[in-house]
Formats: sequence, C-alpha cells, structure tokens
Amino acid sequence: MAIPNGGLITETNRQYYAGAQQQYITTAGAGQTMISTFDTPLVYGSSDPANNNYLLNSFDIFTSSDALTWAALTPRSAVSTTAAIAPVGGVAQGVQTIVILVANLAIIPGMIIRNSAGTITYGTVTSVTNSTTFICNIVVAIPAANPGVALSLNSPLPWSMTANIVTIASYLAAFTYIKIQLNENVIQESRGSYEYTRLNDVIDNFLIAYVGIGKLIPSVKRSDVVFHAKRGLQEFSYDTLKSVRSQELTVNYALNVIIPQDYVNYVRLSWIDGLGVQHTIYPANELTTNPFASPVQDEVGTPTQDSQDSNIQGSSQTEAAWASGDPRRINGAFSRDITDASVLMNTPYDGMLGQRYGLEPQTSQKNGWFTINEREGVFSFSSELKDKLIVLEYISDGNAYDLDARIPKLAEEALYAHMMYSILSTSSGIQEYVVRRFKQEKSAKLRNAKIRLSNIKLDQIIQVMRGKSKWIK
Amino acid sequence: MAINVNTVYQTVLLILNKEQRGYMTPLEFNKIGTQTQLEIFETYFESLNQQIRIPQTNVDYADRVLNLDEKISIFKTSGTPTYTAPSFSLPSESGLAQSTETIPTVAGTVAYTFSSITANELSNGTVQVYFDGVLQPTTAYSITGVIITLTASPVAGIPPAPNTPENVFVVVTLDDFYRLGTVTYQSGALHAQELERVTRSGLYHLLSSKLTKPSTYYPVYLYENKRLLVYPTTITSGITVDYIRKPADPLWNFTLGSNNQYVYSPNTSINFELHDAEQTELILKILLYAGVVVKSPEIVQVAAQQVAQENQNQQR
Repeated sequence: MAIPNGGLITETNRQYYAGAQQQYITTAGAGQTMISTFDTPLVYGSSDPANNNYLLNSFDIFTSSDALTWAALTPRSAVSTTAAIAPVGGVAQGVQTIVILVANLAIIPGMIIRNSAGTITYGTVTSVTNSTTFICNIVVAIPAANPGVALSLNSPLPWSMTANIVTIASYLAAFTYIKIQLNENVIQESRGSYEYTRLNDVIDNFLIAYVGIGKLIPSVKRSDVVFHAKRGLQEFSYDTLKSVRSQELTVNYALNVIIPQDYVNYVRLSWIDGLGVQHTIYPANELTTNPFASPVQDEVGTPTQDSQDSNIQGSSQTEAAWASGDPRRINGAFSRDITDASVLMNTPYDGMLGQRYGLEPQTSQKNGWFTINEREGVFSFSSELKDKLIVLEYISDGNAYDLDARIPKLAEEALYAHMMYSILSTSSGIQEYVVRRFKQEKSAKLRNAKIRLSNIKLDQIIQVMRGKSKWIK
Repeated sequence: MAINVNTVYQTVLLILNKEQRGYMTPLEFNKIGTQTQLEIFETYFESLNQQIRIPQTNVDYADRVLNLDEKISIFKTSGTPTYTAPSFSLPSESGLAQSTETIPTVAGTVAYTFSSITANELSNGTVQVYFDGVLQPTTAYSITGVIITLTASPVAGIPPAPNTPENVFVVVTLDDFYRLGTVTYQSGALHAQELERVTRSGLYHLLSSKLTKPSTYYPVYLYENKRLLVYPTTITSGITVDYIRKPADPLWNFTLGSNNQYVYSPNTSINFELHDAEQTELILKILLYAGVVVKSPEIVQVAAQQVAQENQNQQR
C-alpha cells in the first residue's frame, strides 16, 4: 500500500521514510513546477547556498538522469550550467547583444555569465533572442580570444518555492528526474505524526459533524470553535497528554538554568550520572526560597529608594547562603558519597548509611535540591549540582508552536466532547439538561483518554510483579 | 433553465385581451417583467431563512430547502476580487449577464441610438465596442445616454463593398453582484481556507487575543463599503468570493413588421432567468401589475388571489 488511496495516509512510503518526493520530466525547458504533497508545508529561504537565507530551507532540490545518482540543484550544479563560447572579438562592458558560437537552448534570462572556471563573473543575461543570441548586462569585459572565451552560465536562483509549489528556474533536459528532499530534522519531526490529529483538522471536523441545521449547535463562529479547541488543548496538556518536552542542560557556576520559553510546569528534574542514569532532583520546598525582592534597608529597617523613586534592590542573602552551603549538612550524606549508580562502585562505607538514625526522611537524599527563582526566571540548584548534567522534563500548553497544535488520536474524541460542552454551556437557549449531558460526556471521555494515554501494558505489570517473589533478607 | 420571455408575454396578452381589457406594450412588459423577476428573486432569501428552521422531509423533490436552493443555484457564481491596498474590491461582474446589440452603420453618420440596450445598463455595466469584430479603444467612440457617437465617420466602400466599419457590435457586461457568500483563501498548493466574516468591534478583540488572532490558517475579513478587508494583512492575493448575482433584465425585443406590428426577435431578446417552476407565479404577478396598468380591478383581484394561494401552498 505504498500509494495513498483515499485513506488518512496521504504520503507515500518514500515521502514518510526517506523524506523524498520525485517527479519525472518528459519535456525539456525552464520554469517546470513540482507540487509538494508532503504533510509538512515546505519552508523556503533561498536556493543559493551562498545566501544566508539558504539555512531557512526545510528541503533541497536534486536532479538525476536515472533516479539513482542525484545532484543538488545549486547555481553551479551541472544541470543549470551550460557551456557557451563567447564571440571571438570579445564583449565590451554595458548592455550588449552576444552571439555565441555554439547554439544552446538552455540559456534563460537571469543567468550569470562566468568564465569556464567560474572565477570571473562577466555579467547577467537579461533576455534571450534565440538559441545563439541573447542580450546581457556585461560588468567585466569579455576578452577577445580565438575561438572565443569558454563561458559557463548558471541560474543565480535555480529554484524557488511558494506555497508548496516548487518552480525550477534552471533549464532541465528532457527525461530528467527532480526530487524534493526534506532535511533530516524535518523528516524526524514528521515521523510518528500518524499518532496525532492536527488541531486544524479537529476544528474542521467539528464544524462539519457537530454544527449545522438540525443539530444542537445550528451555527457558531469559527473563532469560537478555534478558541475552545485551543483552550481544550491547553487543559489536556496540563494533565492528560503525555509530556514530550525535555531539555538537557548543564548547571552553570551560578547554579541555575533558564526556564524554557514554552514552559508551563515541570514534570521532573534529574541529574545524569556517568552511566546516563537519571537521579531525581527534589524541590527544596520549605528548606529555602528565592525572595522576589530584597530591598536595601537603612539603619532603622526602612527600604531606601533610588533617584527614580523605586526601592533599591540588593542581592539576596538567602540565595547566597543556600548556594554556598554544604547540602550534606542537611541530607546527612557522607563526604565519600558516590556519584554513580554503578553497583560496582559500592564500598564498605556505604553500608554505614543504614546505621544513621534520626534523619528527616524527606531531606535524606543525595540528589540535591532545586528552587524556582521567579524573579530571575531560572531554576536554581543546590551547590553539589554545579557543573552537573541535568534533564528538565516539563509540560507546555500545546499552543506554543504550530507543530504543537495537534492532539493524540487517543484523546481526539475527548477534545470534541470538551468543545461541544464548552460551546453549549456558553450558548443561550440551551436547556440545562442538555448542558449537563455533555458535561458528563466530556468527563467520561476525558477519563477514557487518560486511561488510554497512561500506557499501562500488561507485560510491564508482570515484570514489576515478579519482584514480589524476591526474598528480603 | 430559463423561462421564455415570449411565452410569458403572449400568455399575459392572451389573458388580458380575452375580455378586451386592454393591451400591454413591449416596453411596459419589459419594465414590469424586470420588476416582477426581482421581486420573486428577493423572496428566495427570506423564504430560505424561514424554511431552514423547519425540519424537512428527506423525500426527493419535497425538501423545500433543497427546492429553494435549486432556484437560487442558478444565480450562484464566484469571482476573484482585486487587491488594492489595503482591501479587496468585490467582483462586480460575473460575465454571465450581458446585453448585446449590433448597429449597422450608415456612411457619414456618426451617432446611433441603441434600441435594446438601456441607458441604465450602459451606465452601470462595462461596455465593449467592436468594429467588424475588432475591439476598439474608448477613444474610438463615446456614449451618452442611449446614443453612441463614433469618433471617425464610417466611410462608404465602393459598391458592392460595404461601409467601413460595416457593423458596430456593442456588448455590455452588467455589474450583477448581489449578495456576498463564502470567501475563501488559497495560497499555491496549500489547502483552501474559508474566511470568517467579523464585525469591526469583533475584529479588535480577535486581533488582541493570542488564541484567536487571525492567521493564514484562520483568516477573517471585514465587509465594509463593498470592499473586503482581509486579516492577516499579509494576504494580498488568492482570495475567491462566492456570491449571488442579480438576474439579467428580461427583454422582449422586436422588429417592426410590414404593417408596423411588433415581430418578436428571439435572437436579441433576453429570457427570464428564474427557475422554470416560477413561470406560473411570474405570469400571475405580471398580470397583477398589468391589471394596474390597464386599470382592471378584476385582473388585479384574481391575480392577487392566485399569487396568495400559491404562496400559501409554498408556505412563504
């Protein structure tokens, strides 16, 4: 089933697995177009690698004569280059009509005229009269030579893209293959996308199925539907959808990391040991705090103001004391504390840990603490985590970027129910029993979605339950 | 799918003349026909509004909403508005409603009077003038009222050659935009998006809300002073407008016979564009107006009763 045949899958195997879409050209010429049918819209900056905007491209264009060996279509690639021989007598600067010695159909307006080595740029083709004659703007005179100087002509922008339509400016020979090749990161982002339904589709489906004459919602503004869909996605992101956001960071000398741009709440912070095993870092809770303001006080304790009538802020002494403190004095750990989860690194001293009594259980851990410094917008860590590699897992609201605006199919029905209830409950003239019915339906479907997304698998339960037969010595 | 204008005219004359009540001239008929057609046309939208509130049967041909939609569908069309910053103009002409007239020239005569194209059509429509099939620039002629004046006088050819130009062919494409329907946006190969119509006050709120801010996925538009202001303002092309056009004015055109009688000219006449199902009501309503014209209370009464009966049957 490599070819989409009317189902929900619209990409071919090649598009999904290789990120490539190719087309066979049977007629030679410039200006050929190719329509992208990828699920992901193409992003175009420039087709000239020398242009900084080239880095914005989400794809590249290749050509081939046999669909086996491909060459990128760049201003200097073989396909867009065409050899020509300049007039024997040379060409002066200015707007000139050049009659080349060897006819060539591949010359198109806009091409840059260089010497065959590509080291000298003579000018640009402005219009083509016929296969041997074209008008050009010469900025560097072409010297006289017999039988003329060999020229190479290239398209400065061999291709362009607008709204998923790729236009090849370069001349292409007949029976050429052209290929759109997505960048690797774009391919990776689209993998597994069948697990999700895009929010745009949810909104369209809702308008089709739930709104209309003879239905409970006879008419509704699309902006209302968009609002409730996005709000639903936000709510689901907080407690229903799985957390997919995480960042690997290193704690700096100031013992903090910046809160991510799309951060809503954290799921877990952990430091990574030499084996790559993660150790959960716990919130400091009541152990310490990050004061939001630390005004400088005079001798009688009154905050002092600057020339702009605002309180002068000093540095927090609480934070300084916490940062310079030794956490082992709180958690009771030994100075020879291990920093690796490897069981081979256990020492006889480790057994002595169990001989220490009277510690506060919630602080008796060696993984360190973190606080959220709202004033500076950072996570702050206790001093033993300096230079440690940490992983921050967090949740966003699903609306930060366009790619986020999608819902797992396992929760799609719950989102419809949420939208239905939200619209009915804010509409006038809807009977209360109808609103209640959909409130119950929304709750039931949300619960169902949570169960589905909790991903409880029988094999995993069995594996965990095997531990019950272990003897505790 | 059109009601023959001659059939209607002859039926109206037949009923009027049966009791020697009077006569209706083609000019009167054309004006009353235009009025009646517009009257019936306008009722469609109010009727549709009423019918969509009533549950309809799913039986073929009995669904009133579908039946009304079939009548309206004749006038549904679409066009591409033109962008002139900061807004789009409406497509004023569907190109479907045209009036044409061929005027044979006389050597040395520059001014000619239109016989079928009206002054209203000439002033509200787009005029194209052809000399012997060649489109002319506006410098080649001028139009005032219903008179066209040629810049250069026609030259008589050597017999049997005709005058140059021999014929002046005039096409008036009528501005027939009536009601705005769906507005869509499509860029290249991306999916088309329907634009939501918003009010000015609603737009301010939409623009200030991050969740509902217009985007190329969810564009919106304001409809003010016959122009579309599309948001986001980056959209300057790719807009398509579905709309209802006005029906073309009916015309019972004629030539004068040997006894100066009116001879129906089918090629230059314009039929009623209403659905065939409206023929009865159309005739009755024209009769109603005709009764007023010929001062016959009987006609007015009978026609009014029939129209009322028909409306009752259609639940209008």
